[in-house]
Amino acid sequence: MIALFRLLVVLFVVQTIAYVGLSFYSRSVRKRKLAEHWERKEAMKGDKAAFVERGLKRYDQSFRRKLILGVYIVPWVAIVAIIYIRNFM
Amino acid sequence: MGYVKWAIILIFWGFVGATLHYALPQHDTVRIVNTYEERQELNDWTRMFWATPDDQSATLIDRDVQFIQAVRANGRPIVYRNEDTGWGWPFYFKFDTANLYTEAADKVSPKDNPEWVSVMHYGWRNEFLSIFPNAISVKPVDGPDYSPIPWFNIVFLTLFAAISWAIYVRWRRFRAAKIDPMVESVEDSLYAAGDAIDEKRGRFRRWLDSWKS
Repeated sequence: MIALFRLLVVLFVVQTIAYVGLSFYSRSVRKRKLAEHWERKEAMKGDKAAFVERGLKRYDQSFRRKLILGVYIVPWVAIVAIIYIRNFM
Repeated sequence: MGYVKWAIILIFWGFVGATLHYALPQHDTVRIVNTYEERQELNDWTRMFWATPDDQSATLIDRDVQFIQAVRANGRPIVYRNEDTGWGWPFYFKFDTANLYTEAADKVSPKDNPEWVSVMHYGWRNEFLSIFPNAISVKPVDGPDYSPIPWFNIVFLTLFAAISWAIYVRWRRFRAAKIDPMVESVEDSLYAAGDAIDEKRGRFRRWLDSWKS
């Protein structure tokens, strides 16, 4: 049981590091793309900072952002699948 | 300095490669000839080549281990250990050691009437260290020529290379954009400070020299 507990804790820590890292990275990529998009459309009027801000707000509520939660889900699905295949098939 | 850098890189990737070669699954087409159990002493550094099937086995200095003896198609012998990996590394989540032992015993076949099986295993056989690969599963196959395409390893290594490369490229970009300019500005101010000191010293020297004549 200690081994299982250790796996749970270590995996949770690794997943959290990956989740936080991916979240920051993904947000910064989105920010850069929004800025590039604004630069390309010369005709765009208004404030660049406000445009990026609006885009990031939309990103925060988007489904794509929630896909990063897969970092928590995918390994567990894989572990359950491996346990079933290895031992009961 | 260049040699040191390359030595570190070489050692790092050698270690990664060895770890992957140890832990990734491999398939042998063999004929099983026997199964046996033997008490193993586990209190030296080769302990890391044996599994920790349950919590109390982490502190045991010796215990019984199951083995599966087999002969390859080319006639060379290979001996597998048969141990639970449990919840630990490498992550095969093998809990059915007793079942596998039974299956292996069921597939024992004589030389003149061979029953070929594909044994999936990980780990290394080394006669000097007395270490054995850990059998994960046995599967009956048609003949001694059976050699499966290692799909799992292909997918895993491709993904591993892709992720390593992606992180490396992003790290380099991050370093070029954020860290190098910082180092440069630190260097610049150091040089500026050095120049200023030189200038000061020059003036001091000139002032000293002015006393000479």
